[in-house]
Amino acid sequence: MIPQLVTVGYRRSNGRRRRLFLPVLPLVLLVSPLLLFAVLAGLVACLIFRVSPTAALLGIGRVLWALPGASFELEEGTTAFLVSVR
Amino acid sequence: MNDQGRQILQMLSEGKITASEAERLLDALGRQHPDPTPSAPPRTKTRPKYLRVVVNSTDDPGGPTSVNIRVPLQLLRAGVRLASLIPPQALTKVNAGLEQSGVPIDLTQLKPQDLEALIDHLDDVTVDINDPTSKVQITCE
Repeated sequence: MIPQLVTVGYRRSNGRRRRLFLPVLPLVLLVSPLLLFAVLAGLVACLIFRVSPTAALLGIGRVLWALPGASFELEEGTTAFLVSVR
Repeated sequence: MNDQGRQILQMLSEGKITASEAERLLDALGRQHPDPTPSAPPRTKTRPKYLRVVVNSTDDPGGPTSVNIRVPLQLLRAGVRLASLIPPQALTKVNAGLEQSGVPIDLTQLKPQDLEALIDHLDDVTVDINDPTSKVQITCE
């Protein structure tokens, strides 16, 4: 399953907490014109470095599909940072 | 041995019952509470899905530091497959760089199937490092 929600949270040194919930699909749709350029750039890079574009796309797809469940939390003193993919 | 068994042996040691009576009582007790059979099928072990890395450190003057990372094992597999796309000429350059840095590892010898086998056997890995000021735990869950 592709990631559906990315949660980014942080706590500043003054104790203020912020948590951002980023819905992946709407964001991808929003930046889809830019993604088209990114895909084209990736294709050119694949041709330059003689990497199979199909294999590269499959590899990136596998990584994206495996992302749900990943999380990273860091707390240092009064600051904290969290990224979680669901 | 349960309390009733101990009680029977106590009575035997005190001479309240004979050895044959104790044997009969113990037999009856064994029939009443049979031991779990060793041939019972083992519980099915669920395969872990995530690799968890937890680091707690108190040696930082800014306050205690803690890191908690959860990585899906599937992500490791996907990463290994993606890494297999690195062109050989890039690997040669990386090898040269590693050797210059004093890490003589030949990355061209690392085969994706070997790495996948390694990830498959990560299930039982548990790393515990306890230092007076820091603690590192790596487990699969």
